[in-house]
Amino acid sequence: MEQDFVEIKQRVRHYWFKDGIGEIAVGGLLIVLAIYFMAHRALPPVSNAPLYLDFGLAFIFILGVAFTRKLILIFKTHITYPRTGYVEYHMENISSLPARIAIFASIGIFVLLLILIGRWVGSFQWVPALLGVLMGGIAYGVYKTTANLHRFNYHAVLSVVAGFGFSISGLPPQYGLSLYYLLLGLWLIGCGSHMLKKYLQENPLPEAGGDE
Amino acid sequence: MNDALRSLTDLDRVIHEPARLLILTILSGVVRADFLFLQRETGLTKGNLSAHLSRLEESGYIKIEKTFKGKLPLTVCKLTIAGQKALTKYRQQVQEFMKKTSQPN
Repeated sequence: MEQDFVEIKQRVRHYWFKDGIGEIAVGGLLIVLAIYFMAHRALPPVSNAPLYLDFGLAFIFILGVAFTRKLILIFKTHITYPRTGYVEYHMENISSLPARIAIFASIGIFVLLLILIGRWVGSFQWVPALLGVLMGGIAYGVYKTTANLHRFNYHAVLSVVAGFGFSISGLPPQYGLSLYYLLLGLWLIGCGSHMLKKYLQENPLPEAGGDE
Repeated sequence: MNDALRSLTDLDRVIHEPARLLILTILSGVVRADFLFLQRETGLTKGNLSAHLSRLEESGYIKIEKTFKGKLPLTVCKLTIAGQKALTKYRQQVQEFMKKTSQPN
């Protein structure tokens, strides 16, 4: 019986990922990051622009995460909720200002730490591998806590393999990071679009009418 | 009748009904969910789900808010603290019963 409780809760969590909208939005954010790192590499090393871009990265992450979250909710409101119902999750309910500040500060500190460690070590070659493991861990966590979301297992494997691949490829770090984000972003958009198409085919808009 | 079997009579009858137990379990994993989502997840008819939700609301286990999405009425349900406590107690009682009855004499 306890197993049934766990499975029901997993099914409810699964609902968030059912339409693929989250993957499309996160994929879009990763492509923006890919463009950012490509620009970073393209700028002349003598100018101060790369330094400004380093600090700009924290803002891109913070604004990107906030914008992506907002975008997901807007699309879900127009596509998912009218078809299969509205659900508000505990993570969505972060409405207090201190909680938001804490989350965004954590992201900012994480990015700045990456930059500072990279400058201290003198190389960013290991960053794609680290990010690959980190994002792979998140994808694997989603796979483990939801029901039958095997595609997240593939996301995790691709993230780790691509991260390590680009780290040892010998490419300049910004290119390695850029290609890692590009590959993962395109993969997520592709998977998400496929899931969204399937979801729309399986769940046409119900006829207008009240709940009861 | 042994104690383990007798403990079953103490179970909360409101929650013990399978459909209501399913509704409460779903709601325990979210902040709130609407009627359409609950209907799809439980597989109940509109009338049946409506009756079970009313029973749960009467018992104080869920809170039902009726709002509008555009011109369409929207029924949003939320587990109350009393509902959360009752569900936790029910799960503990069933677990206890399973443990007692699975022990060899």
